[in-house]
Amino acid sequence: MRTPALVVLAWGVWLAGAQVAGAADDQPSPAPSPQLAAEGKALYGQFCRNCHGVNMVNPGTSSFDLRKFPPDEHARFVNSVTHGKNTMPAWGDILKPEEIEALWAYVRTGGKT
Amino acid sequence: MKALLLATALTMLLPLEGYAQSSDELTKGPNDTANVLNYGMDYGQQRYSPLNQINKQTAKSLVPVWSLSLDDNRSQESQPLVYNGVIYVTTHNATIAVDAKTGRQIWKTKVEYPPETPRIVCCGIINRGAALYEGKLFRTTLDAHVMALDAKTGKELWKETVIDWKNGYAQTLAPLVADGVVITGTSGGEYGIRGFIDGWDPATGKHLWRTYTIPGPGEPGHDTWPGDTWQHGGGSTWITGSYDPELHTVYWGIGNAGPWNAMMRAPGDNLYTCSVLALDPKSGQIKWHFQFSPNDPFDFDSVADMVLANLNIRGQPTKVLLNGNRNGFFYVLDRTNGKLIAANQFVKTLNWATGIDENGRPIESDLTKKMRTTGETVEIWPSVWGGKAWSPSSFNPNNGLVYANTLELGMKYTPTRPQYRAGTTYWGADLAWVFPKDGNVGYLKAIDPLTGKAKWEVTSPTPRWGGVLTTGGGVVFSGQLTGEFEAFDVDTGQKLWGFQTGSGVEGQPVTWQQDGVQYVAVTSGAGGAYVVYAGDERLANVPAGGSLWAFALNPQTSP
Ligand code: HEC
Repeated sequence: MRTPALVVLAWGVWLAGAQVAGAADDQPSPAPSPQLAAEGKALYGQFCRNCHGVNMVNPGTSSFDLRKFPPDEHARFVNSVTHGKNTMPAWGDILKPEEIEALWAYVRTGGKT
Repeated sequence: MKALLLATALTMLLPLEGYAQSSDELTKGPNDTANVLNYGMDYGQQRYSPLNQINKQTAKSLVPVWSLSLDDNRSQESQPLVYNGVIYVTTHNATIAVDAKTGRQIWKTKVEYPPETPRIVCCGIINRGAALYEGKLFRTTLDAHVMALDAKTGKELWKETVIDWKNGYAQTLAPLVADGVVITGTSGGEYGIRGFIDGWDPATGKHLWRTYTIPGPGEPGHDTWPGDTWQHGGGSTWITGSYDPELHTVYWGIGNAGPWNAMMRAPGDNLYTCSVLALDPKSGQIKWHFQFSPNDPFDFDSVADMVLANLNIRGQPTKVLLNGNRNGFFYVLDRTNGKLIAANQFVKTLNWATGIDENGRPIESDLTKKMRTTGETVEIWPSVWGGKAWSPSSFNPNNGLVYANTLELGMKYTPTRPQYRAGTTYWGADLAWVFPKDGNVGYLKAIDPLTGKAKWEVTSPTPRWGGVLTTGGGVVFSGQLTGEFEAFDVDTGQKLWGFQTGSGVEGQPVTWQQDGVQYVAVTSGAGGAYVVYAGDERLANVPAGGSLWAFALNPQTSP
């Protein structure tokens, strides 16, 4: 009985966090640090490029053109990558939160690094 | 309960005829023009039909007879099978039976798999088709299961786990039924797998044998792998093999070595990656092997169609195996012993090797040697998609030519050193695509297998990513990623007809005759490896959306 309660609690905390992040997201996040973006690029190469294209270049018809991901929707990015969305698989059990932040930094470069 | 019993009793009373394909029927291939029972149109995968109602003169009168929505936005690469007026087609998440004349769905059985599974599928969420035998339909699933359905009702009869998909094993291929054994392979060459081919009992799903494509300790060829590298060495088997019943031999192509960085598995040839294996279907025992690309750094999978034909070689009728290899060379082997007969370049630009020596070993170029010693970025042609990717070709026995969808695309290639982590990619190289100057990536070619030279070629900006079919009517059928399904003159390459199917064609066309009418069917639905991975933005206005199309001559306008 304890575990489900804990899970519910964790879920609630996460939701609250997401909401806070969502509110902050109304302003565009500050420019990504080049170092974080480089880490993100390496992770992208390992986990994302075969569906989203080399340097994020893809026709955007069968996956998502990440160059067009809204730069002020950080919470949506974290949520979609963590939990998946439609046919996009979830990565929350493989990627650590800081890795998802690095990916976000890379996505914000538009693939130009 | 009563109703159920009654239903079961009724099913048992129904004559089996009409649903029970025998081994005999599976060997008929092009001689049985009423049905399409094999992946590749016959056991030798020639993708040829003698039918000639649709011919060079009449093809312009082709019209769609019907179209069926596959209710799926993933890539559609399934080859339809046809038996007694019923079409069987698969998607990644369903198996479907269709009335061949009306296009009405007869049954549809969903395939469930965990939503995380696509994480271990490198190159498009697809299924390439089914196999039929003794009233059962066999297929594989993305999460590495093999299953049998009742061909009449779609009811699941058995479902067996191949291996844990979480370690990077997926399945997209159509099974092969050879000598009463259901034979399947696996994907996962980019996820650090150790590849294999399996044999299953069609009646019960009992696992009969497994042949690893990478020999374990003590097995011949194991010493071609340094240290533990064999454990994650790749060698996937993701395209259906061909079968010669007379020689009682199955020919199965083996995928690339993993990771792509060959320095991580050197020295050694890394058997049996990038090879073809000749196997006994009853035991899975290896009779011979031929390796196309030893210690391959460039993802030159050799899984694509191993076409069986009879050619005149130096005046002798010879049982050959034909393969337009991803490495850019066209191979002709003697399939009784695996000896090389010919290997010639069939793409325009190729710089990783300067030729193939008489023993079948590639002569690597200085560029490749430099990359191997320095690990520097090099511009290599063809790219990891190869001179010909998975797209199955057609052998036309009337003129001895092979009709193939080939590619002109290069890459900037930089080897990297990945860490193995179960269930995640194990690439081993960074890539950037190099598109040809004239922009044409696609070349549909009529290739002389003995010289690699093309009698004619038809170019296209984006490549044709599906299969090719040729017929006794002198027509070549194939589709475009931009949606057109087209017919060409087998002798000249002149376009005879085309029709826009509404999404990209990645499917494998088939033809059969029913009540005096010749039909051609193909699936449409973009979203395969090239669409998601190759970064070709010229496809940005080709929507996803799967459908199955059937065409025939318009009785009003055809002569
Ligand atoms: C197996 C293929 C595949 C892989 C691998 C993949 N994605 Fe996706 N991704 C998709 C598809 C398909 C969509 C479109 C989903 C939809 O239908 O909305 C998508 C959508 C997205 C979106 C948009 C979600 C939204 O809110 O609309 C983001 C962000 C994204 N992916 C990020 C990533 C990142 C980061 C990675 C690597 C960790 C990754 N993807 C790996 C297939 C993939």
